[in-house]
Amino acid sequence: MSQKTLVEVKDLTVNFYTYAGVVEALDGVNVSLREGEILGLVGETGSGKSVTSLSVMMLVPPPGRIEGGSIYLETSSDEKDVLLMDDSTLRSMRGKDISMIFQEPRAYLNPVYNVEDQIGEILLVHRKPEFLKNAVASLENKKKSRTFEANNYRRMLRSPKSLSTRFLQRFGSKKNLKAEVRKEVVKVLKSVEIPDPDRVADMYPHELSGGMAQRVLIAMALACNPKVLIADEPTTNLDVTVQAQILNLVRQLKKDYNSSILYITHDLGVVAQLCDRVAVMYAGNVVETGDVFEIFSGALHPYTRALLESIPRPGQGFRSIPGIVPSLIEPISGCRFRDRCAYAMEICQKVKPPFVELKKGHFAACYLYGGSQ
Amino acid sequence: MSYLLQVRNLKKHFPIAGGVLKRSVASVKAVDGVTLDVLKGECFGLVGESGCGKTTLGKTVLRLYKPSMGHIFFGAPNDAVSEITNLEATNPKSRRLRRLREQYDISMYRGRDLLLLRRKMQIVYQDPTTSLDPRMLVKDIVGEPLIAQGIAKGEEAKKMVVEMLDRVGLSERALYRFAHEFSGGQRQRVAIARALVSRPDFVILDEPTSAVDVSVRAQLLNLFTDLQKEYGLTYMFISHDLSIVECISHRVAIMYLGKIVEYSTTEEIFQKPLHPYSQALIASVPVPDPSQRKERAPLTGEVPSPVDPPVGCRFHPRCPLAMSVCKQKEPLLIDAGNQHYVACYAVNRENS
Amino acid sequence: MSLRSRLEELRISMKPRIKEWKFMLMRIRQNSLALTGLVIILAFVTIAALSPVLAPPNPMDPFKIPRDAEINVLTPNPTPPTIKHIFGTTDQQYDLYYACIWGTITAFRTGLTVVGISLIIGLLVGTVAAYYGGLLDEVLMRFTDIIIAFPGLVLAMALVIAFPAKVPINISMIALVLFAIVSFMLLVVRPSKKLLLVVQAFLILSVLSIFFFPFSLDLTLSRLDKVLIAITLVGWPGYTRVIRGEVLRVKNEDYVEASRASGSSDFGVIIRHIWPNTVYPLLIVATLDIGSIVLSAAALSFLGIGADPDYADWGQIIQRSSPWINRPTELVANFHTFVIPGVFITFFVMGWNLLGDALRDVLDPTLRRR
Repeated sequence: MSQKTLVEVKDLTVNFYTYAGVVEALDGVNVSLREGEILGLVGETGSGKSVTSLSVMMLVPPPGRIEGGSIYLETSSDEKDVLLMDDSTLRSMRGKDISMIFQEPRAYLNPVYNVEDQIGEILLVHRKPEFLKNAVASLENKKKSRTFEANNYRRMLRSPKSLSTRFLQRFGSKKNLKAEVRKEVVKVLKSVEIPDPDRVADMYPHELSGGMAQRVLIAMALACNPKVLIADEPTTNLDVTVQAQILNLVRQLKKDYNSSILYITHDLGVVAQLCDRVAVMYAGNVVETGDVFEIFSGALHPYTRALLESIPRPGQGFRSIPGIVPSLIEPISGCRFRDRCAYAMEICQKVKPPFVELKKGHFAACYLYGGSQ
Repeated sequence: MSYLLQVRNLKKHFPIAGGVLKRSVASVKAVDGVTLDVLKGECFGLVGESGCGKTTLGKTVLRLYKPSMGHIFFGAPNDAVSEITNLEATNPKSRRLRRLREQYDISMYRGRDLLLLRRKMQIVYQDPTTSLDPRMLVKDIVGEPLIAQGIAKGEEAKKMVVEMLDRVGLSERALYRFAHEFSGGQRQRVAIARALVSRPDFVILDEPTSAVDVSVRAQLLNLFTDLQKEYGLTYMFISHDLSIVECISHRVAIMYLGKIVEYSTTEEIFQKPLHPYSQALIASVPVPDPSQRKERAPLTGEVPSPVDPPVGCRFHPRCPLAMSVCKQKEPLLIDAGNQHYVACYAVNRENS
Repeated sequence: MSLRSRLEELRISMKPRIKEWKFMLMRIRQNSLALTGLVIILAFVTIAALSPVLAPPNPMDPFKIPRDAEINVLTPNPTPPTIKHIFGTTDQQYDLYYACIWGTITAFRTGLTVVGISLIIGLLVGTVAAYYGGLLDEVLMRFTDIIIAFPGLVLAMALVIAFPAKVPINISMIALVLFAIVSFMLLVVRPSKKLLLVVQAFLILSVLSIFFFPFSLDLTLSRLDKVLIAITLVGWPGYTRVIRGEVLRVKNEDYVEASRASGSSDFGVIIRHIWPNTVYPLLIVATLDIGSIVLSAAALSFLGIGADPDYADWGQIIQRSSPWINRPTELVANFHTFVIPGVFITFFVMGWNLLGDALRDVLDPTLRRR
């Protein structure tokens, strides 16, 4: 695991302007993802973990708006701050440098297109020249280098935007291009351990089971070999045996491709099994970040500790955190956990604790560890 | 030790219509021959993955579906049940059998008997957002069972509703609010109040904490335990979350594709799972301890469709211990010692 | 429980619902098109309510348009607006102003009664078909399809011509019809003992009534009434389909099943849960339909099949200008005879359409959001 940081979110503030008022969904969030590591983003509903991941890809839906902070993303373009990127840079970045998979896989697959078409769409958006070259090469091998089809491909390579190219490409078959794309689709499906990928490529989303659909979604996300993958609770809706298979797959992918993964979940068991580092979020703030072994053996922030204690253990009764998550519409002064914290002090009511490095690589935002001057 | 609920060879098949004239071409065998007993006052856990039929089993027991076959005995004395079982084997056409069945077998209840039964058996659904009518006030939602069953009306009903709401931790102000004004955990409390307002003996909890926040889950589960003690309730706790089931149930049954593959006390099941599926299932649960990481997924493949279950033992296509007999005949649930029932040839052969 | 405490209870129960309605009204107020529609309809309501004041009624029958006898002696041709006849007169010296004012009441009556009855029929048929499903659903839906295929215009014409003006209604006839409906429903619904007793008493009473009440009532139907009956008979299937779709959606929701688990009868489930959750799209369709029904009735009147020749109805008064369709000079000269009632019709229909659109915008997203 190198120390190169691929994603750095600093002080991110996101507000949602709703009928009921302004919801301060994210209030100065700090997250960083290093190359080749799996970072677990843990939090309950309303903690802001999904909003954080959507912000990185600039996909926050209205009435949400990013109000402050910076998001640094290691991309192949010049601009590194996502918040300053223009639309075309964003489009080329999404799917190629960073991709995302979601919780309910079948909701994110278009029901009227089969698997081949959907994965093919992404491949063609980002890697079209490659396929065109391969198609031309295969036609040359078949001694059909002078055909209309081959010339079409050459035209599309040379001047893809010109009017004549776009007009002429409507005529003539694109059989070879499709064949090249299909070869890659099958290869990608194989890499996510889908049995019988040739048959699956022709299937429609409603014919896929939950586990298969999630694998297809992972295949789509990895089709263009992005460096960063964001996974938003991809196994929450799956059976526990299928979840074990998918977690295994993710581990395998990390090993084979050295991917960096931001894995969002609320299940501490998954975090322990999968992640290298953990970031814990509560009510729009990151309260603690650290190495997974350190967090599980010695968590610093009271919320993290309470979460670990609430894991059900037989014979103990169920331990919960008293109180409820505060509403984010009325801004709360000080630390947002103060009403439920067993160690709350006076300063916690007034000033928000800073997010500081307490041990090497282990950050937390809590006055228990000083900083209350 | 009295049994509150006894299920014998229960089957529920859903026909699939197909063809031009919409004939039944196949059927989804959601529950395909389940036999179990629930003791009075216990929490019986029912575990399985999607498609195993646990929710269908719960709803069939509650008579929300009419069973395709089998018997369900609720509150029947032990000798009546054994007499029925005997008569079924020896003299199936006897009039006494029919009379006994009409009295105790709730799968045959209709009309007024069914209405009285509803008072004693209730259900709490998984998703509190869809299980509460979005256009009804909480007062009417919780009060509906009282009115529908003719227990109380008007002022008296309102008093019972307030009492129940208080017991589940909601204030009287909740009466005149709509369900969507509350958080998920509070909505689930409303659903619990609705289930308990008619003072039932038996409550089916269909994944009651799955759709609720993690921090609220513990509160709800503690509430369930308290209510069970206070009202002497018997629970059937259906869930796919094994860690919760381990903490709250006294006995557990594991279902796969419409059949029970193993059942025993919680300790026996979780400490010494015998059936290969149970072992794989329990091993698949991610342990919240980073020093215990597994390298391989315990179970490959996916659950086959319940329309066309495999012949013989349903688990044999994915089972590491599959033998030739597993592909031909279904194994029966046999006591492998210490009241630990398993349906597996490999396991039972070792023991015999 | 005393009356006062019951009223108090009702008042408190309605408060949260009123809060919801206020929220909806606020959203209507924000939508300017919706507001326009509402204003237009309210204006028409005011006209209808104040019609005795705005246009003093004919002492014999307020819906007969007065003819100016003096001018009629001079010429039967329409005259342009004067002080005496504010909108002018049409052929045979019928006063346009009177026709337009009292025609408002006719328009409301047409729209509301037709839509009201169609709504009820459609609601019942659609709910029964969707809730019970199976063969009953198939039969009812095929029957509905047949009605849809029926040509409404032809039916209207046939009824106007062939249906007698005075219809004798026998009490026993009504009883027999109701008996047929009830026995049909008994095949489907499994009634409780109480309901069974009621039905039996009702059947006995109806059979006995044949002997005790041999007289019959005469129902007088004006031509307009027959037209309305015709439109209703072919109009209800639209509502059936809408409500059937909604009931099918709601039928499988958890809360309906929970209600059955609580012991509610089918009837209880429908009244308490299904109808409150499915009736809103129906109201939207009904609102939009009122405009279209009035338009259809006006069209029929224009064709001569509608109201009686001197009846105060917008379509009818336009019908008086039909002789000049082919004669452009007279058409232009007498434009007030059809433009003014036409404007009334246009605004009326537009008002209901805007209101219906507004309802659709207001009701659906709010529901979804909640």
